[in-house]
Amino acid sequence: MKQQVLTFILNGEEVAVLVTPTETLLDVLRERLQITGPKRGCDDGECGACTVLLDGEPVRSCLTLALTVEGRTVTTVEGLMVKGELDRLQKAFYERGAFQCGFCTPGMLMVAKSLLAKNPNPSRDEIRSYMAGNLCRCGSYEEIIEAIQAVAAGEY
Amino acid sequence: MTQYVGQAMPRYGGIGQVTGTTKYVDDIVLPGMLYAKCLRSPVHKGIVRKLDLSAAEAVPGVVGTLTAADIPGQNLYGFSGDQPVLNNEHLRYKGEPIAAVVAVDEDTCMEALEKVKLEIEEQEPVFDMLEAIKPGAPIVRPGTTHNLLEFFPGVTTRILKLGDVEQGFAEADYVFEDRFVHNVQDHAPIEPHVSVAYWDAADQLVIHTVSQMPYFHLRYLQPIFNLPLSRIRYVGGVIGGAFGAKNDIHADHIAGLAALKFRKPVKYRWTKREDLSYSTKRGAWVFEYKTGIKKDGRITARHIKQWHDTGAYGALSVYAVEKCGMFAAGAYHIPNILVESQIIFTNKPIASSMRGFGVINGQTCVEVHMNKIAEAIGMDPWELRFINAWRDGDQGVTRYTVQGAGGLEAMKKLAELTGVQLPDHLMAMSSRRR
Amino acid sequence: MREVLYYAPTELTEATAILADHRDKAAVLAGGTDLLPKLNYYEVKPHALLYIGRLGLSSIHNGSSALTIGATTTTADLATHHLVQQYAPALAQAARLSGSVAIQNAATIGGNIANASPAADLVVALLALDASVRLLSHSGQRDVHLADFFLGPHLTILQPDELITQIHVPLSPGKTEFLKLGRRKGQTLAVVSVAVRLQLDGDLCHDARIVLGSMAPTPLRCRTAEHLLRGQKITTDLIHQAATQAIAESSPITDQRATAWYRKKAGEALVQRALLQALDKKEVRP
Repeated sequence: MKQQVLTFILNGEEVAVLVTPTETLLDVLRERLQITGPKRGCDDGECGACTVLLDGEPVRSCLTLALTVEGRTVTTVEGLMVKGELDRLQKAFYERGAFQCGFCTPGMLMVAKSLLAKNPNPSRDEIRSYMAGNLCRCGSYEEIIEAIQAVAAGEY
Repeated sequence: MTQYVGQAMPRYGGIGQVTGTTKYVDDIVLPGMLYAKCLRSPVHKGIVRKLDLSAAEAVPGVVGTLTAADIPGQNLYGFSGDQPVLNNEHLRYKGEPIAAVVAVDEDTCMEALEKVKLEIEEQEPVFDMLEAIKPGAPIVRPGTTHNLLEFFPGVTTRILKLGDVEQGFAEADYVFEDRFVHNVQDHAPIEPHVSVAYWDAADQLVIHTVSQMPYFHLRYLQPIFNLPLSRIRYVGGVIGGAFGAKNDIHADHIAGLAALKFRKPVKYRWTKREDLSYSTKRGAWVFEYKTGIKKDGRITARHIKQWHDTGAYGALSVYAVEKCGMFAAGAYHIPNILVESQIIFTNKPIASSMRGFGVINGQTCVEVHMNKIAEAIGMDPWELRFINAWRDGDQGVTRYTVQGAGGLEAMKKLAELTGVQLPDHLMAMSSRRR
Repeated sequence: MREVLYYAPTELTEATAILADHRDKAAVLAGGTDLLPKLNYYEVKPHALLYIGRLGLSSIHNGSSALTIGATTTTADLATHHLVQQYAPALAQAARLSGSVAIQNAATIGGNIANASPAADLVVALLALDASVRLLSHSGQRDVHLADFFLGPHLTILQPDELITQIHVPLSPGKTEFLKLGRRKGQTLAVVSVAVRLQLDGDLCHDARIVLGSMAPTPLRCRTAEHLLRGQKITTDLIHQAATQAIAESSPITDQRATAWYRKKAGEALVQRALLQALDKKEVRP
């Protein structure tokens, strides 16, 4: 298939990459740019493991056609660290064991990041509702909620 | 050392998981890597009459195809040793792999799969296990006369026995019966089945696997590839959830065969929809419970019949059913127990292992059964359980002796945590003595 | 490999010209939440993808008699926009209960309508508000009542060269409610959804809308049930009768989410609850 140049800001840096019209953002990140933080779970928008921030808002990269992000800003879990320092959420997830297999973690972190940017002090219900689109089959939901609460409470 | 005991430690390797740098198998992208996709059976049961892959092979970007003829070793694998890797004869379930296409990418694989000329003589399937054991039911396994798995040659009912249940029922004041039906369940880990295989510089076939039990799987893969074990390097350890789903090989055999044939790195991954529809499951189960009990609450006999639907192939069902049989009577002192088990083939996806497989199905039944008995004889369900709970020295159905019993103590703790006030005579009971 | 063309026009005339060229060989892409699963799983194989996210159709305006909502306005915007909250609270509620945060950020109102799912959350609310859609093609435009738009599951009167550009939501007076029952609370498709609007005149019901989702081949206006309420004094008994009648008008199916039997039982309770709760809601006044 004929390829086109796609230019966008990825984790703070401009990238230009050749893509075909039917590729998703997830395809381009994982297969073309080796940004493998976002995971391919369902390709159906159901599981949330591929969630990235598009202009700061969480979207499913598996449901985002790559060419539509032309000129826009994409942040993945790889972009959370600043100057080699873990983001507070990464620290809290790590120290509080907010995962078992870890496959859902990159998506969870991005949605949590967006939640705290909008609502620095969410209630437990607000966290549950905002995170509802991200599935964790290992069942680490309690630890995930606690990690987000701990960050909101300034423990990290 | 002393500072670590009793302390919560951060997860080993956890930094990789929170930074997205942990390499799961699908994260592996190798130069020149090819992709494989399987042609799956569109029918629940049928015979392949024609399989013509030439048009698929002619699609630009297709490197080649795999069929049963490409397998250097045996076309059988699995815990029960009865699953074909690629089946081009008698198809037993919808989604069963028939052949594979290998191409430069998955889009090309899918385009090629549409061009395969496949003719199948469709046959009548059977889905309900209890229908499948009736005379005249469609036969799932070609060349056999019935749908029952043989535990040993000629033995289709596995019997576990302690004491004499007939005598136990005769001693009972009441006899209660219950029937339970459990449906199929999928594990649905977020990471679908995936495998990456290639030849390395040391002339070894390297396979990156999501296997939960790599040493078992290595043993099943070796006869397929017909390579010495020393030439298979099986790399595992990072899994995006499994819950028993990855106790069965779903992708390694196909990726390995493709790498063997085409001498290039090959990735084979299932979509989530394939996974939900066609991967192994927790199988369906039917239980019948019959319990004899004295007026004072002492159980005299328990007779359990279990029918397990293993789907199209055996997989880990024998393991599940035997384990279920060992524990299905519950953690109770029962002098007379009889457990009769049958495993039945149907044209459903393969039933195998899932979280506590073989244990929780039986335990669910026995505890519901106990509650119904307590209600029927007008006894508090706590009391019924306390009276009958295992004490040290009791015997299980396979004549194992119970040591370190803890059911009573666990129930006391449960009562405390849930705010239930237990009477003194129950609180005085101990697992150490009857 | 099969060639697929990609277009991301910035002018409506360009977009309709592309549609006129490719007709049903083109797939219109807005938020992608319905189209991309089908593309990812090779269920649709369009020759061209027409991305309409750069046409400037993401806006919400307040006219004298209606809200005008651009077709690519996201569900997230509907859920939070003050005009929607003020004049169409049932639509804001439907938006809030639809999908997860990530889906709401992408999914659009035009897409929810064009996809024509019997379970479409926004459509159920929009029908209760007497909404209409503006359809544009290279040869002209037409406005269609949403109630006349759907033909069946994923079937509409939309022609292959037509694009939904705007949704008009009349500033309809009354008390409204939108309720949804799913298999779980978050990110779920409706087992049953219901939107109601009660226009009251003292304690008499001047006009009513009762709309059900996932209970028929298309989102369903229960006109006979609405008629039961019209001109009557609203009582608990009447509400029960209307709910029973609404379910009698439905024709739910049994699928992986629920049985038809359950849908009818739960649907009746949900209609009753929606009508009762609507009575306690603040009245929307244009």
